[in-house]
Amino acid sequence: MSQTPLLELRDLSVGLKGDRVEYDIVRNINLSIYQNEILAIVGESGCGKSLTALSILGLHASPPLRITSGSITYDGRDLTKVSPEELRKVRGAEIAMIFQDPMSALDPMFTVGTLLTSAIRAHKKVTDSAAEKIAHECLADAGIEDPRRRFGEFPFQLSGGVSQRVMIALALVNNPKILIADEPTTALDVTVQAQILERLKDLKNERGMSIMLITHNLGVVASVADRMAVMYTGEIVEIGSVQNVFSVPQHPYTTGLLGAVPRLGSNSVALVPIIGRVPLPDNLPKGCTFADRCGRVVPECGVNRPELVSRGAAEVRCFNPFR
Amino acid sequence: MKIIFSRIVSTLLLLLASSLAVFAAIRFSGGDVTAARMPASASAADRELFRKQIGLDQPILKQYITYMGNFVTGDLGNSLTSNARISSLAVEKIRNSLILGGSSLLIVFLVGVPLGMIAALRRNTWVDTGITSFSVAGMAVPNFWLALIAIHLFASTLHWLPSGGQGGFKSVILPALVLSAEGIALTVRITRSAMLENIGQDFVRTLRASGFSERRIYFKHVLRSSLLPIISLAGLRVGQVVGYALVVETIFGWPGVGQILVNAVLRRDYPVIQFFSLLLVVVVTLGNLLASIGYTLANPRLRK
Repeated sequence: MSQTPLLELRDLSVGLKGDRVEYDIVRNINLSIYQNEILAIVGESGCGKSLTALSILGLHASPPLRITSGSITYDGRDLTKVSPEELRKVRGAEIAMIFQDPMSALDPMFTVGTLLTSAIRAHKKVTDSAAEKIAHECLADAGIEDPRRRFGEFPFQLSGGVSQRVMIALALVNNPKILIADEPTTALDVTVQAQILERLKDLKNERGMSIMLITHNLGVVASVADRMAVMYTGEIVEIGSVQNVFSVPQHPYTTGLLGAVPRLGSNSVALVPIIGRVPLPDNLPKGCTFADRCGRVVPECGVNRPELVSRGAAEVRCFNPFR
Repeated sequence: MKIIFSRIVSTLLLLLASSLAVFAAIRFSGGDVTAARMPASASAADRELFRKQIGLDQPILKQYITYMGNFVTGDLGNSLTSNARISSLAVEKIRNSLILGGSSLLIVFLVGVPLGMIAALRRNTWVDTGITSFSVAGMAVPNFWLALIAIHLFASTLHWLPSGGQGGFKSVILPALVLSAEGIALTVRITRSAMLENIGQDFVRTLRASGFSERRIYFKHVLRSSLLPIISLAGLRVGQVVGYALVVETIFGWPGVGQILVNAVLRRDYPVIQFFSLLLVVVVTLGNLLASIGYTLANPRLRK
């Protein structure tokens, strides 16, 4: 990866600040997205992957959440420092986002067509017919069979799969360079999941888009992503190419995660769970946050917090990694 | 179409039932119009004669059938106290009440909705606290008390506005405001909570992520979803305005349906009571009908 990144998160922390509590939920994220790649962010519920994604466009619930340190660099600007109006111009036009539950993510009171054309108008002045044309094209691009009919329909008339395609079309109308997809297939049934993922992959190839795919599904990662970052308790613990991380995982948490996935046709009967519980963000142990659950713990783990360091083809946050 | 037809049928049945209920209730409530029409010294025989003349000696059911027979041929009868034809009384009273009730509904929504929106957008600030406290007060204060205070302050003390009667624009202001107080309070609360609920919806995040301006999100998308409960409330408001109008019109001497109805009840002027109370039933039903039509039109899920 010698090229310059499109989007770069550097040392990004997002925290909760209430009347009496104050702590970081996402800590020191370093992450780059390059042109024409799918980067997957993987982790279990509550590990901060969605919050990381939301904070890129400033969509985290603020207050009480806020970015406590670090920078998000896009096109020479730090998105954590730009004015609300400047950030608005980035949203949808440069970086677009789709969400987990497409059925509730579309405004129920407006037709698909009105939503798409007003999203276009939020960024550029176009005639009605031009906006309509773009909307039709994007609906088709998102894999919708009958764009003309869907254009006049209300969200409640759409199935979950069609809703998510409409969401994708909505994200495409202003031709963004980056698409952030926050668990886009979690609420959909398996066959539709596969179609949507195929669509995302095609969009990357056809439009040269970069996609940041948030998911907890390792199968999804394996089938579409180029690179992956594994998150645990608000930190990235391992990041590298999908092939690399799957074949030679280095962080004990990553191996644990891979070991907990059921495989069709494998001979082992029982899945291997990771013992213990995930510590809460307001009560993290000193040192490595995975130490209490780790089988490869060394004395240093309880004392110092490991840094994310390059090791082979990947970067790992561990004092005693595999291999 | 079928829904509208069944609504009309049920409205007619409702009117028939309420006409019977009113007819019976006023005759069982004791006393009759002779007390208002005849001097205290009138003999019992004279009173009986008068009752006979106006048909009060007949059995109630027969009186009812006679009344309804006249009613459907368009004869509303005469007032027992002034002998004026009710049809000629009605036009002016209805017009006056429409002016008062209409301006009150207008005030309720033109003031209540924006205030509710401001409270929602400035939630948990002193602006919100101020608006919400006023709306609690608006709901808690009875309108007859508010009417007396308003008359004392703006008419007797400051001499800004007339204390009552009907004489042009200035005379509408006080009764219309008093009549609106509770409506504004309720509308503020409904608007505020609907706006807050919708601001938290997932679709708002989608709009933000698509680069919609905050102003557009609030004033077009969030408000649009919040209109549904506000429209339902409007239907209920019509009924409440009608009820409160009885009190407010009487206090302000506003010559409308409410005032004539209260006076007619005090004097047992049966035909007047009968007609105007049925009129109120019609207005309330019509208000609800309009609200549910409006709700259907505003909600794509029902329209399609």
